[in-house]
Order: sequence, then structure tokens, then C-alpha cells
Amino acid sequence: MLLPDYYEFCCRVKLIAGHDALEKIPELLAAKGARKPLIITDKGVAGAGLVDIVSRAAGKLDPNLVNDSVPPDSDLKVVHELAKLYQENACDALIAVGGGSVMDTAKGVNIVVSENATDLMAFSGVGALKRPLKPLVAVPTTAGTGSEVTQVAVIKDHDKHLKMAFGSYFLLPDIAILDSRMTLTMPPFITAMTGMDAMSHAVEACYCLQKNPLSDAHALAAVSLLYAYLPQAVNNPSDRDARLSMAIGACLAGMAFSNSMVGLVHNLGHATGSVCGVPHGLCMAILLPYGLEYNLHKREEAIAGLLLSMAGPHIYKETPEEQRAQKVISLIRKLNDDLHAKTGGRHARSLSEVKDRDGKPAVPREALPQIAQAALLDGASVYNPEETDYEDNLMVLEAAWEGKPLDRAKVKKG
Amino acid sequence: MARVREISSGRKPLKRAYVAMFLWFTGRAIQAAAKADNQVKSEFEALPENFTFSLGCLPDGPWMVVGKKNGVVKYLGGKLPEKQHVRLAIKNLDAGFLILSFQESTALATTRNRLVTDGEVPYALAVIRILDIVEVYLLPKIIASLAVKRYPKHWSVARKLKGRIAIYTRALLGL
Ligand SMILES: NC(=O)c1ccc[n+]([C@@H]2O[C@H](COP(=O)([O-])OP(=O)(O)OC[C@H]3O[C@@H](n4cnc5c(N)ncnc54)[C@H](O)[C@@H]3O)[C@@H](O)[C@H]2O)c1
Ligand SMILES: [Fe+2]
Repeated sequence: MLLPDYYEFCCRVKLIAGHDALEKIPELLAAKGARKPLIITDKGVAGAGLVDIVSRAAGKLDPNLVNDSVPPDSDLKVVHELAKLYQENACDALIAVGGGSVMDTAKGVNIVVSENATDLMAFSGVGALKRPLKPLVAVPTTAGTGSEVTQVAVIKDHDKHLKMAFGSYFLLPDIAILDSRMTLTMPPFITAMTGMDAMSHAVEACYCLQKNPLSDAHALAAVSLLYAYLPQAVNNPSDRDARLSMAIGACLAGMAFSNSMVGLVHNLGHATGSVCGVPHGLCMAILLPYGLEYNLHKREEAIAGLLLSMAGPHIYKETPEEQRAQKVISLIRKLNDDLHAKTGGRHARSLSEVKDRDGKPAVPREALPQIAQAALLDGASVYNPEETDYEDNLMVLEAAWEGKPLDRAKVKKG
Repeated sequence: MARVREISSGRKPLKRAYVAMFLWFTGRAIQAAAKADNQVKSEFEALPENFTFSLGCLPDGPWMVVGKKNGVVKYLGGKLPEKQHVRLAIKNLDAGFLILSFQESTALATTRNRLVTDGEVPYALAVIRILDIVEVYLLPKIIASLAVKRYPKHWSVARKLKGRIAIYTRALLGL
């Protein structure tokens, strides 16, 4: 492996993992000197009874300080409303119980209350934060985004149809609790797509420009856990060990990409989510094979290396060197096919297969140019190994819409 | 054993002069490219009126400032304005020399945290695209290939040739 001559790696999140990790919360909060946490969640998570489990394990939570108003993909306005609630009640910490939408909302709220800001937008981009924020405890209920250990928050401005990214080491939560009870209730369809989000983090971490030996170590460990346990967690939702393994896999993937950053898959995925409202995980599942194909000529060795983590030493050895990268791509496609079958078709494999709530196609072909354009506004492109312009974006989106492999001869090379 | 040394940019007159000269010329070339290259032109058209950005070295320069007023893109000299939309700041003069003498691509410099971007992301991305195009015009292929992720082989010969002549002439004359 080529060692970069300079890199940074930071993951200073205290991690508690286990089948009974939640019980540790009171002690951890006390150590932070926090007495009055605001609990942020969403209706799906609260409806699944997860806040009750946290409440039972962590000692009674004040029902007035539990708020479930987070919408999918988070929301700029909700962030400001929750910040107001925090300030009016003189809270001194935040507990996020939910998936990426909830955890990222909590990060946004934390920026507003810690900086006494009137507009969260003033802190978008990388490096705008200059000092530590209030204590934040992240309790992920999906095994996907890894937001519990990332320095990133993605918050949507639903009025402008734009997903905004925030990056800073100060956005790393103080504490992350991985408890298998939190993901047992996740339906197979959500398990599948959020699991593929985690997979996309691990895989993109292996080929993006800021990769380094430490991010690689985390990413490869993540790939092997996720690849082994995702089908198991979908098949048997109440398998506690599979759930905990997925939680740890997603967390490792988060640690990896938070330092290596992500590329084309997230770049186009954020844009597809912004323009058509497709859930993030589904975008990732569909686009992941294309990210690999598009960057293959620049990152063949790194991609080929993934085969060992996915398929094990036997298949790795049996596969001729020049076919390994291609094999990785076909295994990812196969995984998507299996998840498609196991979720009664809800796990879409192409953009044309994605349905909205009313069962209508969510991504009309005519929307692809708009998505390709929106991707030019997203920072993930910087970290992608190969350049991407409007036409490149459109070419990849069209292939992903049809669900056909990318014609690699058409990828422009320098 | 290496001892820690105070590094002051003031004591590197040659590097400083090179970086300053490069920035001066790039600033004028951007102004030129905004007229001579359609892609740079449309990137600027999409940016708001009075859009201003700068590129330079921390802590005390040199800097290059470019802005758009009444639809016209102009090199605004080396003095940082009070307010600007995007600032691309290179960590120090040494890193500036590395990047601006094209021993390190802008993308790699970003990933190595040597180039710090301030401002809204969509604007910053537009500035990076503009800089990449201008570098391709200014530099011979062998050097530009190091400075950008993908050398645009797919540009037409006409675009490369005509653009290069127009941009060099305009930049030298300050048009
Ligand atoms: N910060 C980061 O590093 C990062 C990384 C990737 C993605 N993201 C962002 O995260 C968001 C997506 O997060 P997500 O994929 O976790 O989904 P999500 O948080 O939007 O949740 C999806 C749905 O699943 C439900 N749900 C969650 N956990 C459940 C459980 N245990 N049981 C039953 N239902 C449950 C929720 O109520 C919701 O309806 C996107 O906005 C994406 O951009 C952030
Ligand atoms: Fe993601």
C-alpha cells in the first residue's frame, strides 16, 4: 500500500457497545456534569417504543424534554425550533435517539445552542466551528450512517431542496451507545438500505483521496462485518448478535469515512435525495456499484483488496488478480439483488425502480439532468479520485436509472 | 535530532516573490478566461452579483482577489477585502509554493489539509472548477496534469489553442 506522506485521523468518541449498553447513560451524563438533557427523536423511532426502552434503562426522562418532531433527512427549521426548546428549558446536554436524520438534527441543534447562533447556515461547510459544543450522546437506531462517530452532519433545507453538509471535529458526539435493543425493531426494508449506506461508507473510504492506513483498517473491518451480517439481520430481524455486529460495522465504517471522506456515490446520492426525496440509504445501495466502476481505473488495487474482506481468503486466492476488482463489483450487485428479493422488491436496484409513498416512480428520467446539476453543488466531489463534471454525473445517473453496468469505455480519463 | 524552528514567512523572499507573481498572473488570467472561455463564463454567470473570492497564503499573504461587478469579472489586486464569498487559504507559504508550483494538485492539497476553504460549499466548488480550467490554459500539459485530477483530453483542439492564446494575451495586457 502506498502511504500518504501526510494525513489526519481523529475519532475521539467514547463508545459503549453491547446488549445492555444503555444502562450506562446516567453515569456518563453525570461525568459530563449534565443534568437536564434534551432528547431528540422521530415519530418512527418513538412509535417503535425505543424511547421507552432508553427511558427505562437510563432513568426516567422528563417527557416535556422528549421531542419527536424530526422529519426524514432532518430540517433547517426543525433545528431552530429544537434549539429554542433547549434554551427555554435551560437544558445542558443532548441525547439523540434515532437514525442519521435524528443524530444530524441533534448536531445542528448543538451548533445553534452552543454558538448562540441565529442562523445555522452561517456554520455550513468545513471548519466554521472553533470551539467545543455541549455534551451530545448519540444512540443510533439504524445501523447505517455512522453519524454517532462522524464529524459530519447533513441537514436538508426543504424549501431550497438542498442538503447542506457541516464538517468539524467538534461535531463528533462525546458518547456513542451501540445497543442491540435499538435496532431490533427496524423493518427489513430499512435494515437493508441503511446497511448499504454503511457499506458505501466503508467502500468509499477505501478509494477516496483522503484515505490513509487508519481509515483503511477501519473500513476493511467494517466491510467484512457488514457483508457477513447484513443478509442475516434482514432475514432474521430479532437476531441480536447480527444486530450488534451490524451496529459495530456501521460504526467502524463511520470512523473510516469521517476521516477519508466520501466521493461520487455520496455526491450523486445527496443530489438524488435533494431533488427527488429518495431515502439516503436507497441512493447509496443503487449507486455504490457505479462509484466502483467509475473510479476503477484509478483505484483498482484498493477495490480488489476489498474482495478479501468480503469473500474470504479462499475465494480471494482463487480469483485471478486482474478479476478481483470486477468480482467485488459483482458481489455488491448480487447483495443488492438478494436484498431486493428479501424485501419484496422494496430495496430498489435501479433509480427507475424507486417508488414514492403512493407507489409511483420517484425518480422520473427527466429529473436526471437536474440531479446531475445539483451534484455540482455538493462537496463530496472533491474527495472522489476521478474528476466529475455535469456530463459524467449524467452518464452515471443514466446507467443507474436503467440498472445497467456502466460502460467503462465511456468514462473520460485524463 | 531535529529542533523546532520558528518559521516566519517574511524570511523567504524568493518563495514569497514566486507565489506573489503567480497569484498576480492567475488573477489576471481568471479575468481573461471569464471572457475567453465559455465554461468559465457560465460559472461566473451563475454566481451572484458582487461575488468576490480570494486565493493566497496564511498568515499574511500574498493574496489574489477576484470579483464580479455589473456582470464583469475583474482581478482586484492583492489586498483582502473585508467581506468575501469564498476564501481559499493555503496553510503557509511553503505549502503555497508546493501547490502553486504544481508539485501538488489542488485536490490533494485539500485532502492533506494544506488548502482550507471558507465560504458556502457550492460557491467554493465553482471557484475550484474555475481555477482548474485556468490552470489547464496556463500550464503545459505535463505540468497541468499534475495540478488537476483529470487533464481534459476531451477538450477540442480549437478550445485549447484559441483559449490559451486569448487568455495569455489578455492576461499579459490586463484585458
Ligand atoms: N452524519 C453523517 O455522517 C451521515 C452519513 C450518512 C448519512 N447521513 C444522513 O442521515 C440521514 C439518513 O439517516 P438513516 O439512514 O439512519 O435514516 P433515518 O434516520 O431517516 O430513519 C429512516 C426511518 O427509519 C425509522 N427508524 C429508524 N430506526 C428505527 C428502528 N430501530 N425501528 C423502527 N424504525 C426505525 C425512522 O423513524 C425513519 O422513518 C440522511 O439525511 C443522510 O444524509 C449522515
Ligand atoms: Fe451515507
